[in-house]
Formats: sequence, C-alpha cells, structure tokens
Amino acid sequence: MTAGNGVMVALDHLSKHFGVEKAVDNVSLAVAKGEFVTLLGPSGCGKTTTLRCIAGLEQPDAGEIRIGGDVVVSVARSRYLNPEDRNIGMVFQSYAVWPHMTVFDNVAYGLRVRRAPAAVIKERTTRALELVGLGQLAERYATKLSGGQRQRVALARAIVYEPRVVLFDEPLSNLDAKLREQMRVELVRLQREVGITSIYVTHDQSEALVMSDRVVVMNKGVIQQIGDPQTIYAHPANTFVANFIGVANLMEGTCLGRDGGFCALEIPLGDGRAPLRVRVSGAEGAAKGQRLILSLRPEDISLHLQQPDSIDSNLFAGEVIDTVYLGSFLECRVQVGRHEVGIQIDHYEQLSPGQTVFLTFRPDHGLCLTE
Amino acid sequence: MTTVSASGAYLEVQGLMKWFGSDRAVDDISFSLPKGQFLTLLGPSGCGKTTTLMSIAGLHGIDAGVIRVGGTVYTSKADGIFLPPEKRDIGMVFQSYAIWPHMTVKQNVAYPLEIRKVERREIDARVADVLRLVGLADMSEKLATQLSGGQQQRAALARAIVSRPRLLLFDEPLSNLDLKLREQMRVELKRIQHEVGITSVYVTHDQAEALVMSDEIIVMSKGRIQQKGGPHQIYARPINAYVSNFIGVANLLKGRVVGVTAPGRGDVEIAEGGHRVKLSCQLGEGVAMGEEAVVSVRPENVHAERVNGGGQRLEGEVLQAIFLGNYVDCRVRWGEFEWKVLAHPRDRLREGEKVYLRLDPEHTLAVQQ
Amino acid sequence: MSVQTLPGTAADAPTTSRWRSLITQESVATLIVSVLVGAAVLLPLFTLVVSSFLVLDPGGFDTAWGFDNYKTLFTDRIIPRAFVNTLLISTGSTIVATVLGVSLAWINARTNCPWRDRLEPYNLIPFFLSPFVGAIAWHNLASPKTGLLNAWARHYLGIEGYLINVNNIYGVIWVTGIFFTPLVYLFVVGSLRRMDPSLEDSARTTGAGLVRTTMTVTLPLVAPGILSGAIIVFVTSAGEFGVPFKLSAPYGWETLTTQIFSKAVGDDANHYLGATMSMALGAITAFFIYVQQRYIAPRSFTTVTGKGFRPNVIDLGRWRWVAFGYNVAFILVAVVLPILCLFIVSLHPVWTAEIIPSDMSFRNYEKTLFFWRPDAIQAATNGIFNSLILAFAGASIAMVLSLVVSHMIHRTKGFGSRVLDFLCVVPIGFPGIVLAMGVLVTYIKTPIYATLWILLLGYITRFFPYGQRNIASVMLAISEELDQSSRMAGASWLTTLRRITIPLLKPGIFAGWVLLFIIFLRELSISIILYTSGTETLSVGVYYLTNFENEPLTSALSMAQTVMLLICILIFRRVAGREALTA
Repeated sequence: MTAGNGVMVALDHLSKHFGVEKAVDNVSLAVAKGEFVTLLGPSGCGKTTTLRCIAGLEQPDAGEIRIGGDVVVSVARSRYLNPEDRNIGMVFQSYAVWPHMTVFDNVAYGLRVRRAPAAVIKERTTRALELVGLGQLAERYATKLSGGQRQRVALARAIVYEPRVVLFDEPLSNLDAKLREQMRVELVRLQREVGITSIYVTHDQSEALVMSDRVVVMNKGVIQQIGDPQTIYAHPANTFVANFIGVANLMEGTCLGRDGGFCALEIPLGDGRAPLRVRVSGAEGAAKGQRLILSLRPEDISLHLQQPDSIDSNLFAGEVIDTVYLGSFLECRVQVGRHEVGIQIDHYEQLSPGQTVFLTFRPDHGLCLTE
Repeated sequence: MTTVSASGAYLEVQGLMKWFGSDRAVDDISFSLPKGQFLTLLGPSGCGKTTTLMSIAGLHGIDAGVIRVGGTVYTSKADGIFLPPEKRDIGMVFQSYAIWPHMTVKQNVAYPLEIRKVERREIDARVADVLRLVGLADMSEKLATQLSGGQQQRAALARAIVSRPRLLLFDEPLSNLDLKLREQMRVELKRIQHEVGITSVYVTHDQAEALVMSDEIIVMSKGRIQQKGGPHQIYARPINAYVSNFIGVANLLKGRVVGVTAPGRGDVEIAEGGHRVKLSCQLGEGVAMGEEAVVSVRPENVHAERVNGGGQRLEGEVLQAIFLGNYVDCRVRWGEFEWKVLAHPRDRLREGEKVYLRLDPEHTLAVQQ
Repeated sequence: MSVQTLPGTAADAPTTSRWRSLITQESVATLIVSVLVGAAVLLPLFTLVVSSFLVLDPGGFDTAWGFDNYKTLFTDRIIPRAFVNTLLISTGSTIVATVLGVSLAWINARTNCPWRDRLEPYNLIPFFLSPFVGAIAWHNLASPKTGLLNAWARHYLGIEGYLINVNNIYGVIWVTGIFFTPLVYLFVVGSLRRMDPSLEDSARTTGAGLVRTTMTVTLPLVAPGILSGAIIVFVTSAGEFGVPFKLSAPYGWETLTTQIFSKAVGDDANHYLGATMSMALGAITAFFIYVQQRYIAPRSFTTVTGKGFRPNVIDLGRWRWVAFGYNVAFILVAVVLPILCLFIVSLHPVWTAEIIPSDMSFRNYEKTLFFWRPDAIQAATNGIFNSLILAFAGASIAMVLSLVVSHMIHRTKGFGSRVLDFLCVVPIGFPGIVLAMGVLVTYIKTPIYATLWILLLGYITRFFPYGQRNIASVMLAISEELDQSSRMAGASWLTTLRRITIPLLKPGIFAGWVLLFIIFLRELSISIILYTSGTETLSVGVYYLTNFENEPLTSALSMAQTVMLLICILIFRRVAGREALTA
C-alpha cells in the first residue's frame, strides 16, 4: 500500500492486546499533513495505547503504522523503528519536563541530540520559547515553573526540531479548569501557526470539540465515528457517540413509517399512558415496525408553562422533578411517563417540583438512531 | 451568656478577624443565618472563606469577634471564651473526605455516637438510617479504602450528620471528585441537607456549586464580604464588577452615569475600545447620577445578529467562534474591545463575519467598580 | 461590642479561663516531651564540648582549662595517623558501597534480570546484620594463615602463602563497603522505581537513544539519591568501631574510633582527651550530615506525581544472566559466605583453617549460651539477657517518644515544632561512639552509671530519630483532616490520639519498633563505651570473646546474634515493606 498524497500518519488495521483484553482492535486511520486529529473516548477505550503505538513506546500485535510514507512499524514485515528514530514530538500528561535542566536545555535537547550547530540551537530554541511565551524564562529551572508553564516547555521541546508529527497525551488534564480553557485556545492557535500535524488524545469532549479538525471517537478499542466536531455533535453515528459528546435524552420507540423526509416514531410511556407520537429526522432507511432510539439534546427542547396553541413542533407534557440553577441557564428534569427528560432553559424561571409543564421540539432537532 | 437573637438568626458571626502574621485572612466579617438554611462562602483561594469556616469549627482561635450558634457563644475574643472543637456539636465534611481507613463504614459513622455514649442499640438503628439516607446501606461493612471517591464522600456526610449536630460545615467537599460525579453529588448533597434540615455552611471556590446548592451565598474577596444574597440575585444583580466577574462570565465596560430616566433606570456613557456610546441600563445599588460605574452584560444576554434591526446595537466583527456542542463561544471585536457572546450553533456564525450586537436594557446592568 | 464587662467575678473570669485554656492535654504533653528530648540530646553534647577543654594533669588527678587536648590531636604519635586512616577507610568504603549499591539497584529496578524480586530481600540483609560480626567472619575467611579461603587456595590452587589478606585497611574498606551497600541501594532504588516513565519516554521521542537517555536523564535524576547514600555511608564508616577494631587496629592501623575507645576504658583512659577526639570526629560527621540534609536531600527531584507507575524496564538480552550472576555473587560474598564460615568455625574447639568433621561439636554454644552451666562464660551469657532487655525496653520507650515528637513536629506549627525537628536530626549527625562519650562524661558521677539505664539512655538518644522518621513518613501520608474530623465528632485530643492517630500509624510504629529492636540487638559502639562488668551486651560479649577467648567461641556467639537478627528481619519484612527502611 502506498500512502495517499498529503497523508502524514497512517494506521492500518492496528491491534494491541494486553493479556486477553483487546486494547486496540483493528484501528485504521489516516491523518493529513497539518491536520489536528483528536482521539476521544472514556478511559480504557484504547486511545492512549494507539498513541503510544504511533510513538513506538508500545509495540502493536498486528497492523502497520506509516509516518510520512515511511513504515515505522509493521508486524507483518517484522519492522520496528525505535521511538528516537521516528522523528516525532510528544507532549505527556505529566509534562515530563526534566527537573535537572533549565528551560533552555530542556527545549534544546532534541536539537543537541540531532547535532545541530550551536548557533542554530540558540536561534531555534529561542524562537520556540518565544512562540510559547516563555522567552523570559529560558534560564529558569523547570522545578521553579507553574503547571501551565511546564506544559509550554513540554510543547516547545516537542516542536523545536520540527518533527513530522506531534503527539499529545492528555496534556491539559493536570491543569485547573480556567487554565485549561485558556491553554486549549492557545494550543490551537499555535498549531495553526506552526502548521504541524498533530494527534491529540483526550477524554474531555469539549477539548475535542474546541481544538480538532477531525474527531475520532473510540470505545472499547474500536473506532465509533470519525468526523468534524459539528458533524459528530449534530449527527452522532450511534447512542454511544450521542451520549459521550454532550448530553442526550435517549428514548426507545418503534418506527411507524416515513412522512415527508421525517420519520414517525411511537414512544411508549408506560403507566397506562398513551404512547408519544413524534416526527423526527434521521434513520433514512428505517422500515415500519423497526426499533429506533430517539436522541434529543436538552437545549433543543423548549419549556412552556401553558399548553401552546397551534404548533408544528412535537409536543408532550410532564411534571418537573427538580431544577438546577447555573446562572447562564437553568437545567430542569421533567418526568414524562417512565422517561426522565433533561432540558436546558436559557432564562430564569421559578419552577416547583411536581408542576406540570409542556415541552416542544422541532422535528429536525430530534434524531433517530438505530443502535 | 446565652441570648437568643431577636432576628431568628441561628448562626451569628460578628466582627470576625483572623490574622496570619501581618496578613489579614479574615477582616471584620459579620453575617447571620436562619435555622435550616444552606449558606455558601464563595471566593477564590486566599479570600478567607476557609479561615472563616475553621473559626466556626474551632480548629483555630480568632483575633477578634464573636461566634454564636443557637444563642450559645462558641468563641468570643473579648470575653476570652473558646469552646474546644469537640464541645461545639458540629458535623464537618472535609475536602479529603477524612474517612478513617482503619475502620469500616459503619464504624466510621458510629464514632460520633460512641463518643457521645449513646446506647448500642440506638447507635445501630441511627447508623442504619443515615446510611440508607446517603445511599450506602449495603456498604456498611466495607472498609473505607474499598470505597470510591464519591462513596467516601457519602460516608463522610453520613458521619457528619449522624449525631444530628447543631451545625454542618463543608470544606470544599466535592473538589476532589471528577466533573461528572461532582455535578451529580451537588444535587444529592443538597437533597440530603434539605431532608435532615441541619443548618449548613459550605465553602467553595466553584461558582456553579454555589449557585446550584445554596439558599444564601456570601461572595468573599481578600477577607471581606462583597455581597450576600440568593443565587439568582447574585447572578442577575451583582453589586459590583468583582462579583459580576467572579460569578459566571461578564462583559465589563467602564463608564459614567449621564442620565437617570426612571427609578433604577438610566443611561451610562461608556468610553471603551475607542468608542463613545450611551447605553440604557438598570442602575445597581450605589450607582448614582454623574458617578463612575461599570456596565456588566452576561454573554448570553448579548445577541449577535446579521442584520441591523435598529435600537441599541453595536457593530462588530466575529473574531473567534468556538463550537462547544450546545453553544458557540464567540469573541466579537468592537474597536479594541472584545465582546464575549454566547451564540447558538444553528446561527452558524463564522470568523471574520460582520455582526450587530443587540443588548437588552433589562439585562444591561450598571454596577459599582 | 455589645457585651458589657461586669464588675467583680466576671472581670477576672476571662483571665482565668484564658490561663486554663493554655493547660490542655496537648500542651502539657508537648512541654514534657520537649524538655525530655532537649535534655537527652543536648546535655551530652554540651558536656562533651566542655570536657574537651579540660586538660588532665600528668598524675591523672587534677584538671585545668586549656587547649592542650586539641594540640595533642596533632602532636600525638598515633592520633594524626588514626585520623588519616579514618578518612581513607571512609572514602574507600563509600566508593565500594556506591558502586555496588547503584549497580544492584539499577539491576533490580530497571532490568529484566531473572528473579530480581526474589533477590532484593537478600541484597538488603547486610543492612540488618552486625558489621563487627562481619569482620570476625571475614577474619576467619581471609586471614593470611587462618583464613579458610587462603587455606583452600593453598590446598586446591597450590598457592604459597596466602591469596588475600583482610587484616589491614583494605580489609576494613571491603567489609564496611559490602555491609553498607544496602544504604546506597535503598536511597537509589526508590527513585529509580518511582520515576515517572514519561521523563524517559520524552527523551526517547525527542530523539535520544537508550544510552543517551540513561546518561542525560535517568542518572542525573537519581544523582541526589546517590549522593545522599554516599554521604551516609561515609559518615557511618567514619563512626564504625567494630570492623577496624577487629581487622586493622591489631595490625597497626588505628582509627579515630579505636583511639576514642582506648581513651574511654583501660589503663590508658583519659576521658577528656577522648572527648576531644570525639569532638573532632563529630565535627566531620556533623558537617557532612548538615550538607546532606540541607543541600542534597531537598534537591532530590520530585519525579513522583502520585500515579502508579510501571517503570521502564530494559531488556538486557543475554546480558541479563551476567546481571543475575553479579547479584548472586554479591549475596554470596556479603551474606552466605560469612554466615557459613562463622558456623563452621563455631563448631571447632580450636580454629586452624582446617575443617575437621571429627572434632565438630556444639560445645562452644553451650559455653556461650547455657548460662546455667558452671562453665558458661559470664560476659557472653549476660550479653543475651541484657541485650534483649535493652532492645525491648529501648524500642518501646523510643517509639512512644517518637510518636509524641512526630505529632508535635507535623501536627502543630510554630517555633516549638521547628526546634524539635532540629533536635531529631542532631543525633544522626554524631556517631554512636561520640554520643556515648558524651553520655559517659555527663553521667559518670550519677547513680545511673554502671547500670543498664545509662546504656538505655545512650541507645534511645542516638537512635530514636530512626523511629521518629518511620512514624513521620506514615504521618505525612495521612491527612490531618482525619484527626480534625475526630475532634469535630466530639472526641478530645487524647481520645483522638488513642482511637484515630495511633491505629492509623500502627504500621509505622510497628516497623519502627522492629527496626530499633534490631539496631539495639547488634549495637556495639555505644555499648563498648558505656558497659561495665555485669552490663555487657551481646556485641560486648562478642568483643570480650574475641579479645580474651578464641575464635570458635567468638563465632558461636556471633552466630547466635546473627540468627536472632535474621528472625527479626523476617518479622520486619512481614510488618513493613522495603519502603519503610529509608531512614
């Protein structure tokens, strides 16, 4: 197989076992030059193992990895390149900034290993430090730095020798919330500026949405969906993705048939209540009588205190369970038959538990999933 | 020295001062709390909230002031009264949970009752009750080390409430839990407190936690109280720029009140970002004609629209639009000022696009600096 | 404030309650223990300084103030040489211990050497045994004439004379070096094992190969640990008495410790000159310990981030069998050979470097252990009783003291806790023989002299910091909020101590107790200064036998002591992990 044009990193049918457990199960992926791809999933989903296989810190049990067209590992051809020979950069969760060196020495390390001339080392290290905003701290020891600063050193160290790809292993998860949000934006800005190919591992869905060109959602070692952030959020491939990216209300129902691009769905409510009938989008190929799952985002549901008169939306009634006031919006749980529906209101409303409310949502805001 | 307060206050703190060296950790703080209420002390680290809590607990002495609970003086500097912590009848939940690892859950929870020499049979009954309340009924024989973080926190709560203390103190109990669990525990904790009805003081630096759980919030900064009020009041009507910025996110613009149109309504002229415009605002407490003020607008109350519908609109350019799923976090350039705007994903705002910002006078607030 | 002060009773009520609030269970306990620890540690050192300026007149009856003792240090015929020998021995054994300790630690922590987790406990055994007994064993293994190894060399290899000779300064360096190897090992193995692997991974992904990563990242990161270990070995070697006493002093290589000993007891005794030499030795050791505590220890990089790490393990390929052989050779030389030799020698009536199965008997054990027999040697049989009493009582008292002291250092803040913290480091800075000299000159005229009490005092003063560290390490790992929540639950300070603090510290207390029990059971350099007839300890018994009886008898008692220590090690390993050792 030859790498397609512009493909920087290619994974072919990669598998890795730990004992009997399949950590990575037949994963294939192509990352374009300059692209920012995020591997997203819960802990134990295989994202970190995949990354460590690319880095050469872990050896796969099957498959092949190519970086810039060179085969760095191929089980079939028993080829394995040591991490130091792959020309990659890596940023670790624990920063892994060497405490016995200054900031400058940390960053210059990769250039010294590559026997760059002193003048080049000086110039490029200084430039990398300025790029991450640490120009002033070059002579500081790493132990004297804050967490955010250490992460910048780690980043400068990983990009200074212009590797073919930079791998990020949950680099922001040790920072506090405010700093994390700030670093996300900064990291993206930097990556765009340098134009370096990046593979980023995280379990934080908002990190993935903010930073990535494409998101790879993984679960149990298997890729669930690959797509840009908007697609992943608005058109999840299955209930796992729907629930993992953002919050989704999931309700099981039966397909009654299709009508004008929409799917009619009957959702049983239990307790002897009449089933709910809604029109929703998605599930194009669904047949009548097929079991489907409705996925509904909390922010797509509107709440009314009185029954709205004439609407072209789906309507149903329920009783308030409780509310959580969060300032910019109000979260409210509503009991609809046997389902608990979470909704999000963008204004303050005095609601008391037990109160009857009416919920509406537009047909194109509800999505049918087959699994 | 037992005087019952006329105001119905159960916990009273008057003129509390605590110094660490020359550093005023708590600087003349007074507040009171009715019985059964849930009060949150909110502020950044070093604002004196934990010191205040420890003073109430009696885990350290104070330099001035009086602390009274239900009419009993716990600490009074002037009278040289200091009740040791074990005599205060307080339940406390710590950040590290502080569940004793050498005891089972049941032994942990029974401890306060054993210390109080409660009869064995009653201990068993009450421990079983309280473990059921916190959802650990089937964990009672487990060692603390076998519990998850969230379960340890429940056990700590059970231990704190089992003796039905006069006061319940929380020292950032949720900050060691991960985000999902934290959000779940907020609601749970509030439910249990409501059920047992014990007057509670809760310390946190997490504004969302304070908004979700509290009956009353005290926002603190540098050892002093900035504002006291209910969650919605604090969020919607912050008293000054500090509170406005600490609770949630706010666009803050400096200006001067140039006209009062109705009681509590007025125009503020702002000179920010190279612009000079008049904004119609709600006037907050202590903001009067001719005075300097800060205009505070929440990002969700700034609406970015593609067409200029007239009225109070500011023209700007979308600098950044970060997609976060249920909303888009936007920065809009308006001269040198950057507006934070919360937009809907379906608006599909793009970077570099020209937009008009509409500010609703109802939600545009002028506050003290 | 609205509260009015009423005249009369109410006016002085605040004052009394203020005074009463100072007298709590906590403050009373703090005061008592601070005074006790302060007196125990500072009094001997103070007396030592004072005595060093007292010059004994030639008749030996009167003293005068002066610097003559210090002059003697330089003008004496033997002392300057002893000084040089001490430095040579310390330097030499530091090099031996560091090379062995670092290489063994690396093999165990970072390579795929076969059965490495099984080897580790054996690597640590010398740490618990008596170096003095080790010297006796090596004397029997490698003396020119009566050494077993030399006899074998003559017999099997046909060598004339001898193969190796440990009866000199190199023998001292060898034995001290292998016995103190575990000290370096323990300092290094922890940081090698707990090092965040991404520190090395990031060097690899940055482009450095295995060797370069080891040289530029791994080794520099453990350097503070290596340096700390080396300094501790240097200081401990300088204060070691038993090994030079057995191997080099009889052959003309005196050291400071053997010289101090000769001034403390015997015909030549001059306590004031002994005090002066102790000052000199103490100044060296205290200086190095100060440097270690102040500058080296704080530098040890915190490479631990609280996650359970799997350290990077290097595949040695076929070389792993070389590593295995190397490790086994160390255990053979440091543990197996000496013990085996002791046992063989102890079975013979006289030792002539020849194993004669027909002569073998347990007769020597009867004479040194069976105290009820008329032919039992009193000095030996006394030793077992006295040492067991001292070890039991000493470890118990020291642990109670350590518990309260640790509580004060780590659970209270302020001046008092800093002073106590300092007092706990001071005894570590001085070798046992120096501190014992101080204790001797301080208490020689009091009734406790010539009783077990003075030994107990010496033991506890010198060694309670080890117990204290064991407790402190556990105490630092458990949150203060565990105590506070007990107070909030309504329990008093004492109840909290009894029901929460002590149960939580139990592993630390127990490990510390066994460690001290082991140390006290083999203690020589304090005992040798402070014992009198009737208060001999186990090691003093061995000393007595080696000085006045023959090698087989000495070996028998040494063997008995070694067996007792090995049993203690087994117990220690049960109650504490290897981590608890890094005192």
